[in-house]
Amino acid sequence: MFEELVKTYTFKKGMPNLRFTFVPHPITGIPAAACRKFLQGNDPLTGKPVLDEIIAALTLPLSAEDSKKGFIERPTPRMVPPDTEENLHRLFLENQWTDGLPIVLPTEARVAEMLKGTSHAPDEPVGKMQPSSPHEAWSYDVERVAVNAVMAGARPEHLPVILALASTGVPSLYTSTTSFARMVVVNGPIRNELRMNAGIGALGPFNQANSVIGRAWTLMSINLAAAGKAGETYMGSQGNNYNYNNLCMPENEEELPEGWKPFHVQLGYKPGESVVSTFNGWAFIHPDQSFGKPFHAQIPFWLKFVSPFSPATLLLDPTIIHQLKEREGFDSKEQLIEWIHKNTKVSVGDWLDNFYSVQNFVHPVGRRGVEPYASWLKLPREEMIPQIASPDNIHILSVGGGTNLFWQAGDFGHVSSASVDKWR
Amino acid sequence: MKRGLSLLLVLGFVAAVVLSGAGRDREPKITVHNPLGQPPAIARVPMAPRIDSLEGKTIYIVDIGFTDTHQFFTEMRDLLSSRYPATTWVVRTKIGTYFDDDPALWAEIKEKGHGMIMGIGH
Repeated sequence: MFEELVKTYTFKKGMPNLRFTFVPHPITGIPAAACRKFLQGNDPLTGKPVLDEIIAALTLPLSAEDSKKGFIERPTPRMVPPDTEENLHRLFLENQWTDGLPIVLPTEARVAEMLKGTSHAPDEPVGKMQPSSPHEAWSYDVERVAVNAVMAGARPEHLPVILALASTGVPSLYTSTTSFARMVVVNGPIRNELRMNAGIGALGPFNQANSVIGRAWTLMSINLAAAGKAGETYMGSQGNNYNYNNLCMPENEEELPEGWKPFHVQLGYKPGESVVSTFNGWAFIHPDQSFGKPFHAQIPFWLKFVSPFSPATLLLDPTIIHQLKEREGFDSKEQLIEWIHKNTKVSVGDWLDNFYSVQNFVHPVGRRGVEPYASWLKLPREEMIPQIASPDNIHILSVGGGTNLFWQAGDFGHVSSASVDKWR
Repeated sequence: MKRGLSLLLVLGFVAAVVLSGAGRDREPKITVHNPLGQPPAIARVPMAPRIDSLEGKTIYIVDIGFTDTHQFFTEMRDLLSSRYPATTWVVRTKIGTYFDDDPALWAEIKEKGHGMIMGIGH
C-alpha cells in the first residue's frame, strides 16, 4: 500500500531509482518474533527474499541512469486543450482535479469575471503549498487561485477570502495516515459583506459563502499543491468527511459580550480588519452536559478525549458564552482559557502509556531536554500535569444561533491567519 | 398494417440514433483553464556508489524512530550479522521525531560507514 508513495516520493526527491524493499504492514505493535518472520520472508511486492533484496541494494552496481545529474522540468500549461463541455467534465473528474462533486468549468470568461473580485494582477504570485513538509511545494498565482474559485462555485466577491486562504500556504488535505481535518474561520467585516452565516446552522450546508469558500480550499489543495492523491500524497486510512467543506464558518462576533474578543483580535488584528484563519485537528464531538453544574466546571470533562499531544478548541453557542460571562464570572476568553488550562489534567502515567501521538512526537522532544516535557518525564506516575500543554493551545470560538445551550469540543489548533483586506 | 407500423418505428429509431450522433459532433468545443499549480523542477541526485563486497565493511541501519520500530531493526541487525559475520552491522536511532534532521549522524556514517540502510516503519 505504500509502493506508490515511495516511488513518487523518491522521484520528486531526484532519485527515481532509489532501492527499497518492503515487508508486510504493519510492523508497529507486533512482537519481535513476528518482525523476524517478516525479515526471513519475502517482499510482498516482488516475492523475493527480503534480506537478499537488502544485500542486492547495497552491492549491485549502479546503472548510468542511477548516476545522472541535472533537472527535470514539469511546466504546467495555462489552458486545457479545447473539448466539449461533457468531455471536459469527464477529464477533470478522471484527472482527479475535483472533490468528486460536479464543478463549474473554468472558462476564460468565468475566470476573467472572477478576477474582477480582486485588484491584484492575474500573474501576481500568491504563495506555495505542499501536502506536508516532506513533500515538494507547488507555486501558484492569482489566476490559478481564481480558476479553482470558479470550480468551487464561488463568486467574485468571495475571491479575497479565497486568495487569503491560498496565501497561508496551508493545504486542507494533509498527508498523514491519521486522516486530519482542517477548519476555516472568518473574522471581521467581510463576514457580513459576504452575508456569511454565523447563526442558526452556521456549520451546515445553508449558506453559499460558507459552502464555496470551504470547498475552494480543498480544490486548491488538490490542484495547487497536488494534495489529496490517495496512496501518493494522501495516506489517511479512513479519510475525513470534514475535508469537503473544512468546517468553514465566520465567528459570531456580534453575540460576543463585552470583554470577549473576536478570534482575530486575540491574535493582534484590529476589529475592523478582515482575517481568515486555519485550524488543524481530527474531530469535534458534543459531550453530554449537566444543567445542575456551572458550564465552566464541565469543560475539563468535555476535554477528556483530547490527546495531550493536541490543542483544544471549543465551539460555544452564544447562549453559553453569555452564561459564562454573566452567571459564572468569566470576563474574557483569556480568563476562561487560563482556568481550563489549570483545571484540565492528566496523570503522568496516562501521559506516558496511553497516547500514541505523545509517545511519537512529545517524548522524543522531552528526551532532548525541551521543557516542560523533560521535567514531566521525570515526575512520579501519579503526578497530575496539564492535559493541554499550554494556554496558547486552547481556543474558544463563538458560533451558533442561540436555539440551544450547545457546544462542541475538538482537538483543533490554530495553524495560520492571513489578512483578507490585502487581497481585495 | 402492423408490419408497416413496425418498419416505421425501426426507421424512426435509426433516424434518432443518427441524429443524436450528429448532434454530439456539432456540440461546440470550449477552452478552459488548467487548474493545476506549478511543480518545482526536480534536481536529480546521483545515487551513492555501491560496495562490491560486504567483507570487512561497516553498514549502518538507521531507525527513524517511529513507535515500536526499534525492535524490527535490531532483529534485522541480528539476522544480517549471523548471515554476514565479517561485516559490522550498526543500528542507530535518528534523534528527535521522524520530522527532525540529524546532521551529526549523517556525518558519522560518512566517516565510519560504507553503506546505510534506512528503515521507515509504520
